[in-house]
Amino acid sequence: MAYHAALYVFVFLPACLVVYQAAPQKHRWKVLLGISWLFFYLISGKLIVYLIGTTLLTHYTGIWLALLKEKESRAKEHADRAEKREIKKKYQKQSREVLAIGVVLLLAVLVYLKYYNFFIENASIILDWTALPLPLEAKQMVLPIGISFYTLQAIGYMADVYWGKIRAEENIFRTALFLSFFPQIMEGPICRYADTAGQLFEGKSLAYENISDGYVRIFWGLFKKKVVADRLSVPVCAVFEHYGDYHGAVIAVAAVAYTIQLYMEFSGCMDIVLGSGKLFGICLPENFRQPFCAKSAAEFWRRWHISLGTWFKTYIFYPVSMSGIVKRWNQFGKKHAGKYVTQLGVSAMALFPVWLCNGLWHGARWSYIFYGMYYFALILMGIAVKPGRDRILKVCHIREDAVYWRIIQTGKTWVIIFTGELFFRANGLKAGLSMFGSMFDGFDVGQFWDGTMLNLGLSRADLVIVAAGCIAVAVVGHFREQGGTVNGRLGKAPTPVRWFAYYALIFAVLIFGAYGDGYQAVDLIYAGF
Amino acid sequence: MDKILEILREIDDSVDYEKETELIDGHILDSFGVITLVSELEDEFDISIDAVEMVPANFNSAAAIWEMVKRLQEN
Amino acid sequence: MKIVKRLILFFLILAILLAGCSAWIHAEAVKLADFIPGRSRPFASIAAERKDGIDVIVLGDSESYTSVSPMQLWKEQGLSSYVCGQPGQKIQETYFMLKTALQSQSPKVVLMETNLMFRDPGPVKNIQSSFAETARYHFPLLRFHNLWKLMFDGKKPGEAVYKGFSIRSSVDPFDSGDYMKETEEVQEMPQAVTFYMEEIMELCRRSGAELFLVSAPSPKNYSYRKHNAIENYAKEKGLTYVDLNLKIKELGITWQKDSYDKGDHLNLYGAQKVTRWLGTYLKQNYELTDHRNDPAYEDWNELSKKYEEAVKKASA
Repeated sequence: MAYHAALYVFVFLPACLVVYQAAPQKHRWKVLLGISWLFFYLISGKLIVYLIGTTLLTHYTGIWLALLKEKESRAKEHADRAEKREIKKKYQKQSREVLAIGVVLLLAVLVYLKYYNFFIENASIILDWTALPLPLEAKQMVLPIGISFYTLQAIGYMADVYWGKIRAEENIFRTALFLSFFPQIMEGPICRYADTAGQLFEGKSLAYENISDGYVRIFWGLFKKKVVADRLSVPVCAVFEHYGDYHGAVIAVAAVAYTIQLYMEFSGCMDIVLGSGKLFGICLPENFRQPFCAKSAAEFWRRWHISLGTWFKTYIFYPVSMSGIVKRWNQFGKKHAGKYVTQLGVSAMALFPVWLCNGLWHGARWSYIFYGMYYFALILMGIAVKPGRDRILKVCHIREDAVYWRIIQTGKTWVIIFTGELFFRANGLKAGLSMFGSMFDGFDVGQFWDGTMLNLGLSRADLVIVAAGCIAVAVVGHFREQGGTVNGRLGKAPTPVRWFAYYALIFAVLIFGAYGDGYQAVDLIYAGF
Repeated sequence: MDKILEILREIDDSVDYEKETELIDGHILDSFGVITLVSELEDEFDISIDAVEMVPANFNSAAAIWEMVKRLQEN
Repeated sequence: MKIVKRLILFFLILAILLAGCSAWIHAEAVKLADFIPGRSRPFASIAAERKDGIDVIVLGDSESYTSVSPMQLWKEQGLSSYVCGQPGQKIQETYFMLKTALQSQSPKVVLMETNLMFRDPGPVKNIQSSFAETARYHFPLLRFHNLWKLMFDGKKPGEAVYKGFSIRSSVDPFDSGDYMKETEEVQEMPQAVTFYMEEIMELCRRSGAELFLVSAPSPKNYSYRKHNAIENYAKEKGLTYVDLNLKIKELGITWQKDSYDKGDHLNLYGAQKVTRWLGTYLKQNYELTDHRNDPAYEDWNELSKKYEEAVKKASA
């Protein structure tokens, strides 16, 4: 039962709302936990033991860190300044060890489940050269749903407790709810304890505005997923699964189509997720902010899958850039290498692990690692050329906020995004490189109108709907970029207008959704990561 | 305090740092700006800034940065 | 209170809109039945049949429409039948297919191919299908919503279908020997199937039709364990059951010639043998009228001619 299933939207959610509201306020969070575990169990069955294991580990690591903090402050009570420093150092070391145990154990499970086979495959290739036998065999691994998401959330929680940004949760069932809240368990957003925990435990009563806003958002997500994404899945599969049969413009179109599909699907799913949270009066953090308005690769990643980017920034980028090695390089560089090289070095050192992890997080495939490195190279390049670029702009009197310049920048970023997603979707790095190469082989603009595009499984009618859907999403995106929301504007409109819009949205999904005859149901892409 | 304004202007001189209170939340300073700033602050004031300090509240305005520096100097 | 009133009004208007669109699109679907692709087609085409013109309704998954040919039943016995089979039909679809058929037909026999009685997608999928099929039945808009594409893309007729049967004459033999080895073991039926079987029996009872279970010959799908399960079930419920997998010799099926895809489905020649046997059986055991000389069925005679030509062409 995924989020876009009718069963989830029309049966499961309403049933949850009824049970939730019927419970007394102070017990409502327990209802949410029960529902969350049921939801997990319905999808992953017995694999729920992984979730429970993660919860136990996370919770008690948190408690342990809290105990150390308490001891530290008690020890400091009657100490003078020098002693205080000593005590702090001592406890910092202990805390760091506890945190390390927690993080390593959590990662070990994730790595074992997700990367074991990747390791075996590559190890056996290397061992083939050396003619040594490999004592391990590849295994059929079944991943518990959402493990990549809740593991990061758990690590973030432990790190926040370690840093003293939050107090450790004392009730293990509350920690459990924070990790497993059902709307976000499958695809995120990856939440921080400080942002969501309070809301989860509050047990707010249902409110008419929340429910209507929530359901409007859910339907908007269904529109993106059903009308646009699932329709585009047809030609995307056709080209990417049989990439040898295509070349030239078709490949480029497929890359663009996949990018749109992925955006519509992932952001649509986030609309459903955030809408589901909203029903209970819980505001989960936004995961997308009009990514196609970005004017650089770096900005794109501040607008796309925001919660993942924020996580990497908080728990990898900053810690690495504050680490001893980087600081030492900083000292050394300033004396010997000049400011420009020093900064570039710092950026490279802090960015490399971020993008390696970003690639690997999506899965154990060389193409994902390539995808991460692709953005690493692009963003580092952006930093490297910035001083030179700024000078040229000044000399040529180009204003950065001029419309034509913004269009050029956005266009450039689109090409970067499309190329990245081509490698991301391709079945392996080899396929990706081959597709990238064949795109330039016999690139014929004529393919756009000689009917080639109609042989990819979508009829003219489908293309019209895809275009209309994209325009609708772009218009809504435009309003959001201006700082408002369409739903907010509608809220002020007279009832008939508002209701007409709601009915239009509902019927657009029902009539133009790519479901039923001639379409395959498409599973959520990010739920597989 | 003036020292901080000076460091900030060196990173990007198009901002009115005395008035701006949303350096991070308004995306004026990006993460690279922040790490440059941190290394400059560490040198200038002889302090050590840990990852735990990396929250928007500590960097949103020149005044906030000054507060953080003072706090760290006391430790 | 104001909010409750508004909510009721909102959903009332929504329901009216849904029902209105559904009625309209269902009428359109009946008109366009021949052009509807995929698994929704039988829902439209059975509704497009003349009222009370069909005496035998055939239900089931792909085994049903690769085994029973209504035009042959017509030619040999004068029976009017219609195959409402769908690829991989789920028990929920079977139930609502029958319900749809009974809106305009009063068949004397409901012949159900049994392969689908062992299809088990698991409890969550079963609940999902139950809701989905109920919604599609009551709001045909959900079933036929893709019809709008015909406006843009034009009407393209699909494969020629003869009262639910399509002619497939290619041969891919099955050659692994006897697959019905006697045993005491019994295959389990999913709960959803037993639940909907009760509903199907109730529908038949109320409309005065007799439910007749048939297992079509298919080495790939059938075994003695399934035979035992259906045999027991039919005995318990007092239903007639024929397992054609035990009558391969009597039917005269040779797997070298009569298999379409290595023993999964029958081809035209296999279907002809099964249909001949079923025709005789139906005629002997049920009171079914021979309509061949009934002027109201003139169009059947015409279609029969077309069918014979198509069969000749395919067999050549």
